[in-house]
Amino acid sequence: MLRRTLIALAVLFAAVVIVLPVAAILSRAFAEGVGAWWAAVSDPETLQAVWLTVLTALIVLPLNILFGLCAAWAIARFRFPGRRALLILIEIPFAVSPIVAGLCFLLVYGAYGPVGGALQPYGLQLMFNLTGIVMVSLFVTCPFVVREVLPVLQVTGEDEEKAALTLGANGWQIFRHVTLPNVTWALVYGAILATARAIGEFGAVSVVSGAIRGQTMTLPLQIELLYNDYNTTGAFAAATLLTALALLTLVLRGAITAIHPAHGARP
Amino acid sequence: MTLTVQSISKRYDGAAVLQDASITIRDGEFVALLGPSGSGKTTLLNVISGLVQPDAGQLLLDGRDITALPAGARRFGMVFQSYALFRHMTVAQNIGFGLQVLPRGDRLDKAGRAAKVRELLAMIEMPDLGDRYPAQLSGGQQQRVAMARALAIDPALLLLDEPFSALDAKVRHSLRGSVRDLQRRVGVAAILVTHDQAEAFEVADRIAVMNGGRIEQIGTPEELRAAPATPFVQDFLTAA
Repeated sequence: MLRRTLIALAVLFAAVVIVLPVAAILSRAFAEGVGAWWAAVSDPETLQAVWLTVLTALIVLPLNILFGLCAAWAIARFRFPGRRALLILIEIPFAVSPIVAGLCFLLVYGAYGPVGGALQPYGLQLMFNLTGIVMVSLFVTCPFVVREVLPVLQVTGEDEEKAALTLGANGWQIFRHVTLPNVTWALVYGAILATARAIGEFGAVSVVSGAIRGQTMTLPLQIELLYNDYNTTGAFAAATLLTALALLTLVLRGAITAIHPAHGARP
Repeated sequence: MTLTVQSISKRYDGAAVLQDASITIRDGEFVALLGPSGSGKTTLLNVISGLVQPDAGQLLLDGRDITALPAGARRFGMVFQSYALFRHMTVAQNIGFGLQVLPRGDRLDKAGRAAKVRELLAMIEMPDLGDRYPAQLSGGQQQRVAMARALAIDPALLLLDEPFSALDAKVRHSLRGSVRDLQRRVGVAAILVTHDQAEAFEVADRIAVMNGGRIEQIGTPEELRAAPATPFVQDFLTAA
């Protein structure tokens, strides 16, 4: 009895919170037929938003992997002054509201900020363009890879690396043949989570993008814009694209869990 | 090959873990560093391996000062307490790792490396298990793979850090004999770190009894039994 009640509750919760909204997106997007949906998603402004979103994700991804690996390695393997501070710093993007983060970036890197102001005379503008969007996306997503890779590095310990060292391997060989294979799946997993977040990020990006139509609109911003324009079909059609991108990351995640069950089992 | 350990000292956060430790390991000899936990025996082994830099003292290999030489350049084969096998590599890949990471000029060709790995697999009596992964092996088998991996680089010296402590009593006994046997056949000098006096007495030619970062006495098992130099050695040996 208890078991059935619990299952029923879980199903109900999933239906109300997840299935119904996603179904609603689809039904609204296709309410005026596939033709109207196609017209909406092939709108140049929407396509531009899709491209900007994908471009941002593609720029942020390698930087996240690089930074995440370096930070996790440094924290796991070395004791240095500021190590604990770095651990806390990496968590900050999780704790700070994205919109506050966006405002902070504007304050520092905007035309009237200390950094942005200094670059202004050289014609370098950081905010209200792709650079600004990439910067805040990096801020929002930088914890993911570290948080996935660090515990694996800490569990696998240093013994394998020391063994490789005594066997004559150099630093690069140790990293390439011992460390990296041990964290590969955590790395891929963290990168997927970070990418999903970068694609869906709204708050921080909305502050620094400047919302120039057809230029600095990412997909989430474009959806809000269309919705506020009372273009419901357009908004929901664009939302199907964002949902599709999100589902794609879910499928990738599932594939990893299938190939490598031990990692997927971790929360 | 003769390794001379000369007045090695090491402090961690102000606490002395090694004080003026000196010992000479001769060609083909099996030496045990015996002592309770915290006596500095593992630190001394790590200094010899190059994984830890001493604060004072010297290491001389056949008269050449190797104190500042990096661990990889020393060519000492090390067997870790946890074995530290590379978990994503097969047994054969584990054993061949030290051969593969050599600079191109010094490296055997692929066939030569494979032949060497086969030879070592036969030596540890696991000729058909080269394709297994470490997780698919028993503790005793993992220990033998760790031995083979360390021997693959034709080490000048074999360093064994509590290599039997993770095994159950029965396997431990049979492996002691086979490790000693393997070491004799290869003819390499070996240093064994252990807290188990029975183990030290069974396999070692000479034993260095350590306490509080100092070497209290060095001698053959017979010498130690006949004439313990300090009350600590006397107590430690009779406590067994």
